[in-house]
Amino acid sequence: MTEILRVNGVSKHFGGLMAVNDVSFSINQGETLGLMGPNGAGKTTLINLITGKYLTDTGDIQFMGHDITRLAPYKRCKLGISRTYQIPRPFPELTALMSVAVSALYGKDRENQSLEDAATEATHYLEFCGLFSKRNVLGKDLTLFEARGLELARALATTPKLIFVDEVMAGLNPGEAMKAVRLLERAKEEFGVTILWIEHVMAALMKAAQRVVVLHYGKKIAEGPPQEIANDPYVIECYLGSCHA
Amino acid sequence: MEFEVKREKLVLRAGKQKFEWHIEPRYWRNPLIYVGLLFLLPIVTYFLYPQMLPTIIDANLLAAIAIPLGWMTLGTGRMNFGPQFFIGAGGYAAALCSIHLGWPPAVTLLVAIVTGIIFGLLMSPLAILSGGLYYTLLTLLFPLVFLEVTFIYTDIFKGDTGLFGVAPMINVGSFTLNQLMICLLSLLMMLLYMFIVDKITRSKFSASLAAINDDEEVAAAMGVNVNKMKIISFAIPATMIAVIGWFYAHYYSTFSGITYLPLTFMLKVLMVSMIGGRVQIYGNVVGGYFIAFLELLLGMVVGDYAQVVFPIILLVLLLSLPEGLFGLYRKRRYREYLPTLHVRR
Ligand SMILES: Nc1ncnc2c1ncn2[C@@H]1O[C@H](COP(=O)(O)OP(=O)(O)O)[C@@H](O)[C@H]1O
Ligand SMILES: [Mg+2]
Repeated sequence: MTEILRVNGVSKHFGGLMAVNDVSFSINQGETLGLMGPNGAGKTTLINLITGKYLTDTGDIQFMGHDITRLAPYKRCKLGISRTYQIPRPFPELTALMSVAVSALYGKDRENQSLEDAATEATHYLEFCGLFSKRNVLGKDLTLFEARGLELARALATTPKLIFVDEVMAGLNPGEAMKAVRLLERAKEEFGVTILWIEHVMAALMKAAQRVVVLHYGKKIAEGPPQEIANDPYVIECYLGSCHA
Repeated sequence: MEFEVKREKLVLRAGKQKFEWHIEPRYWRNPLIYVGLLFLLPIVTYFLYPQMLPTIIDANLLAAIAIPLGWMTLGTGRMNFGPQFFIGAGGYAAALCSIHLGWPPAVTLLVAIVTGIIFGLLMSPLAILSGGLYYTLLTLLFPLVFLEVTFIYTDIFKGDTGLFGVAPMINVGSFTLNQLMICLLSLLMMLLYMFIVDKITRSKFSASLAAINDDEEVAAAMGVNVNKMKIISFAIPATMIAVIGWFYAHYYSTFSGITYLPLTFMLKVLMVSMIGGRVQIYGNVVGGYFIAFLELLLGMVVGDYAQVVFPIILLVLLLSLPEGLFGLYRKRRYREYLPTLHVRR
């Protein structure tokens, strides 16, 4: 198994708060890695560091042999890193089709691609996410579930090697959540992407993930196969709120 | 570079880039009628009521300012409240070169373009470093500072009296014929701007502009080089607006900052783009003519009070028509045949 991403001792503070504190882990090609932790553990911040929204205070990040620690976000995207947002952020005034076309056009430097070509390609991703009938709906008019689907379509359209999925199930009803999970599994099969899947409920990751990393107060407190993590007394304690890392 | 004519498309390949332009003659009728009417208006006016030619020139130039301003607004995701700065820069550069060096309008045009590019590039980091209220205030401030400068260095800029003796753009002997020529020239320039910006907002370039307008951070996460796009969408429209300054200087044969740099002029430009609907290229033409003729009408009806009444009417219009006059029309007669690109207006 080849390593696709390596994070070495990464920290980030906001004022006096250590949001991410000396975290190291790696992701292998083709794997689904779960990232778990209670609310405010620093999961989203860690993704923001890897995708380049914030720069790290310490540590470095290697992606497929490139040091991307200080790279601009759009360059990281072109290298093959993509993401969805915890609170969906579709382009409010763009139609679903055009939002995905933006990713198809700019996610990677492709030769001989016109706007029409990109729109055609975007159709494919919309169809995959079950949003074909919503192609002419503006981003602001989508429901939460549709917006999540659009975010995935947009992320896939950049032809990523690694996708960060930030809490897909939050706010969805159980039926929709099931659909979302199945969609991710299919995306993995069809597009061969590696997934880093954030979720703060344990159950979802049990089936899908091969390995799980647990964050608590910005620190990595556990890493291993999901069954092991589920039975780790320290992790359980933290989830019940009685541990002080 | 490779050019191909397909059945309903022009395909241009340059390096690794591919651009497609649709040529669909079945949609040509209405644009041709409108352009024909725009050309007919000054010609008819010339024979019937030549005193109105300056108003038409005004209308064309206002639209020609608002059109690139729309592109700038879209591509930087911010409203620039001081585009008249570039009118001042281009106008003064052209006027000074014409007066002191005796350069003809064709040469001072190049000077205005270079000036526009330089100031556009120098100021473009504003759109990257500042946003929201700060950007508004900073862009509002620049023309006012420039105005101060024209008074402080009044031996160069003649801030109090204005620069005189700029070479006229056209001289065919008769005053009204000159005006007609200038009017047609301003119309051609406006149409050229309209064509350029229309092509831009229908190209693949526009997808990134619309994305930046909606959410910069997400656009960057999807691979858009936001800073580059912002610099381009700031500097090129700035240059286009600077060329309007050149036009004013050679049209009036005089140039003074006090005419263009204060807020009152900006208010007019703002209203043109508001009435037309922001980033509505055709709407800006409607807005330009509306404002120019409203000003003329008010001048005739209420005389000196126009100075006061004009802004009030505009404000009322602005509050009652948030989408602009043209926006209302577009809502009723909605028709798109290419992948639709909606942008925040
Ligand atoms: N931009 C920011 N400024 C200040 N504090 C922040 C910022 N982003 C996140 N935080 C703080 O960092 C901590 C971790 O947040 P986050 O990464 O969003 O947690 P989660 O694991 O729930 O995704 C929280 O306490 C949050 O308040
Ligand atoms: Mg989070």
